[in-house]
Order: sequence, then structure tokens, then C-alpha cells
Amino acid sequence: MAPASDLPEAAGRRLAEGSFSSGLSVPDFAACLSMGLEPLRLVQGFCAMQWGAYGGGILGGAMMGQPTPASGGYNEVYQCPHGFVTGEHRAWGQNYEQTWVESAWATGFSNALTRMVEEATALGAHGVVGVLDTETPLAEAGVAEFHLRGTAVRVEGAPAPKGDPWTTFLAGQRLAKVFEAGYAPLGAVATVSSVRVWANCVTEYALEGTGGLFAGGGSVAEVDQVVRAHGVARDLARTRVRAQLHGDALHGAELSVVAREHGSGDLEVQVLLKGNRVRRVAPFSPLPAPTLTVALS
Amino acid sequence: MSAPSPEPVDLKAVVRRAVAALDGTPSDTYPTTSDLTIDEELALHSIGWEPVELVSGVSIVSIPLGWWNWGQGEITAASEAHRHAFANAVTRLHREAARAGGHGVVGVRVEAVVRPTHVEVALVGSAVRPVGAGARPEAEVFLSDLSGRDFTLLSVAGWETVGLAVGSSFVFAPRRSVGTVLGQQTQNVELTNFTEAIYAARETAMARMQDAALALGATGVVGVSIDEGPMSFASHAVGFVAIGTVVRPGPSGHQRVAPMTVVPLDDAVVAFEAHALE
Repeated sequence: MAPASDLPEAAGRRLAEGSFSSGLSVPDFAACLSMGLEPLRLVQGFCAMQWGAYGGGILGGAMMGQPTPASGGYNEVYQCPHGFVTGEHRAWGQNYEQTWVESAWATGFSNALTRMVEEATALGAHGVVGVLDTETPLAEAGVAEFHLRGTAVRVEGAPAPKGDPWTTFLAGQRLAKVFEAGYAPLGAVATVSSVRVWANCVTEYALEGTGGLFAGGGSVAEVDQVVRAHGVARDLARTRVRAQLHGDALHGAELSVVAREHGSGDLEVQVLLKGNRVRRVAPFSPLPAPTLTVALS
Repeated sequence: MSAPSPEPVDLKAVVRRAVAALDGTPSDTYPTTSDLTIDEELALHSIGWEPVELVSGVSIVSIPLGWWNWGQGEITAASEAHRHAFANAVTRLHREAARAGGHGVVGVRVEAVVRPTHVEVALVGSAVRPVGAGARPEAEVFLSDLSGRDFTLLSVAGWETVGLAVGSSFVFAPRRSVGTVLGQQTQNVELTNFTEAIYAARETAMARMQDAALALGATGVVGVSIDEGPMSFASHAVGFVAIGTVVRPGPSGHQRVAPMTVVPLDDAVVAFEAHALE
């Protein structure tokens, strides 16, 4: 968690100026006005993180002859079914959760989010709409920068906010429809899960296509160890996002998966899941059955 | 006949009420997750359905070495690996959706990659159910790569979504003899061996997709997408994959939807264009 009030002096000066600013497109800006959301300022939060711990387990393991997963996370051993064959034969394999990657990502994202919310709080905003998040390499190798920005808004005619402003990736018409559908936005949530695959002999042969005697006798076969890593990584991301929902719903979820191959038989599956935490604040009232139209054009 | 005018909504009041309600209203609903847009969710609500859970199914199946190098006809190991990977991913998606209490999965995003040594298939979608309905057995859960909007339209028209049908075929484009190549170099003629091989492979993929649809007890497949082309890593190898959503008429049969004809006034076609005056 970011320390309280750690915004730079330049941010304070910008926020104190009279003009409003917004990251909204013109249609989104117009939609905000029609909802009674008055744009105050473009608010943002940054966090630069050391990103050198990638593969730390494997590096640590290389010296010991095998990877060293962190304790507490998912961990599953894939033993070779053949016994000793040759020195190169991968007699042992393991899937394990890279908790240090996950916690570094969570720290970077939550620090940037906290700082953006802090700027919005300083403006007396009720919420931040149209949040954009990026994660990019910065200046030198091994440094990742988390950047969140959005438009702080005040609800016309509403009393001053009691707590932190809400945040949402939505803006414009889509946000208007969320309100009309009886929901209220609570927060932009995101999480990352990371599972490393240190292949055993069967998995390595299957991925390299060498098949033969040690991997299904040259027949088509599912690569169980990698499939399991994909399944677990997705499950971890979903479970972690659910923990952030506190019983509310996740709307407009976006699940993206990156599978990296660091070397022969050394893979990493990283899942990013993000979306909008929303709460139903009005009774469920479905729209009437839609009227179908054909446009003459 | 004109459509009844909808009641004007005081959006500013709606937003004020919603924001005020956040202060004292703890959540009392089932925590759902979904990758549907708000438009899709509203369309589903209009026919009495709701999203339940974001679900996914993954499979990676190996292709033994040597299948892409040289040969004639179908590359059976690749076709088999593709079929196997899709079947496994679909099974896992069924299982996740059933466990979440879904009756089906809509908007399934299909990501399939064919590599020299394996096929990767990942399916992601939102499990949905009629509002408040109980769980359904895994075997009865349907899958569809159609959007929430298309699912709504099919439902309004009285059609049921049954599942995803996939057909694939990987073949060698036949090599010509040196003599034939030299002989045809100065003539623009049909290469019948190419035509026949690729024609047969395309038909085979489509037939497999239709067979899969019939096996699901359907009458047809809608929204078929075809992915075809040479494999970047193997000369003379070509792949064909056809995917679509399997449908059948519901208990009351096809319902005429009788869409209303509208003339949009902001159509780009009828907008002023300076060149029209030239």
C-alpha cells in the first residue's frame, strides 16, 4: 500500500489550478454532463517497480539444480515415469505459482491506483471515470512503470463524498447504461496470477514434438502439465478478483493470457484479469423485449 | 404505426440516487463475474437471462515430429490433434459453466494456435442462466461464440442454441514433378492437383463441422467462420478450420420477428458530400 499523501509537489500545484481537464473524448464528456457528472481534473497515479525478480525461482534453482518455488502458493510435482535414462533426461518437473511476481504486480498496481484516488480525493470528487491502466518498461531494463489515469468527477447536487471516490474503467454511454440498469460503480479491480512450468521429460518431449518412446509412443496426446498450469493460473486470477469484490459483481471483465517460453522446457503462464466492481442499488427491472428494426440505408 | 415513446429518464436523478445508495447498501446479490458489455447484459436481461461467471477451457495437444515435412493427402496427426484439443477445451468449459450454475456460455472467444509440435486451444466466455434458475447438468450446458445480442435475437426468433461445432483438416498441397513444373511454367493453366487437394480438404473440414452439429441434435450452424491458409512453418501444408454455433428450433418453432423498418437520418450515405455538386 502506498504511504499516505505521497503525491509530488507538482501534482498539488496542478490540482490547485482553476481550469478543469479531462481524459474523456467529446462524446464521453457530453455523456458525463448528461448524467450530472461534472469533470474536475484528469487524475493519475504512477509507480515504478524493480522488475528483476522475474524467474527468480529458476535462477535460484539453477544454482541448486532445480527451481525453488516460494512457499504458500500452488505447487505440483511432475515426476518422470521412466526412472534414470540419461543425464539430459528431465527426471523431474514442477508447476509452481510465482508469488513474488504476483505480489510485485499487485504492489505496483495498487500504489498507482491509491495515488490516483488520492488526487481525486484532494479535489473532493465522488468518483473517477474512464480509468486507463498501462504497464510499460521504463528508462532502463528491469524497471516497470504502472500508470493509471482517469477523470475525477463530482455528482451534481449530491452531498460531499464521505469516503474514497469510486473508480471505473467505464465512461460515457456505457457508464450511463450501467446506472440506468440499476448498478453503481465501486472500483476498477485487477489482478495477475503467474504459474511457472518446469517441464518433466514427458512434457518437454511433447512440446518439442520428439514424441517417441518417452512421450506417448509418437501419438497425439494432451500436454497435461502445461494444460494444468493454464487452468490453475486462470482459477487463481478469478479467485483473487472475487476476493476483491466483497460480494459485489464484476462487470465487463477482461481476461488476457501471456505464455512465455524462457527456455527449453521452461514456461510461464501469466493471467491478467480486470474489470469493474459494481453493486446493484436498484431492484432488478429488465428492459421490455427488444423491438427489432431494419435500417434502410 | 408508430412505436410508443419510452418514458423519459431523469438520468441525473438516477445517478444521484445510485451514488447515495452506495453509502449504506451492502451487497445482497450473488457475486457474478462476466466479460459481457453492458449492452449485451441488458439484451440478455430483456429475455430473462443473466450472466453468472466468467469461464474458460484450455487444452494443448502435441503433434509428433515429422508430420509436416513430406507427404501426400491429409496430415492426420495435425487434424487429430486439433480435434482432440477443441474437444478437451469444450469439455472443460462445460464443466466450469455447470459448476458455476450456468445453463450455457455465450460470447465464447476462441483462440486457437497451430504450432509445429502442438495445438493450443483456449476458450473464454460468460456462463449465463435464466434469472434465478438452478443448476443444469454438465451435458446440457450449451456453448456459443455468438454475442449476447445475437443470442437474444435467436431466442426471440424461437431458436435454441445447442453448442459449438468445429471441423478441421490439414493437408499437403501436392508437389509437382520437375517435368510438370517446367512444362507448366509457360502456360497459365489450372493446377488440377492443387485444386482437387485443397477443394477436398475444405469440404472435409466443413463436413466435419456439420457432422459435429448433427451429433448435437441440431438442424444447422450459424455464424460460421473459416480460418484457412498455408502454415507458416511448413511448405506445402495448408490448414482449414470451420467453427460455428449449432442451433435448432425451440419447442414452439420459428417465430416471425417482423422487424420494424426505420430510416436513420444520420446515415453517412445521405450526408452532404461536396463532390456530389461537381
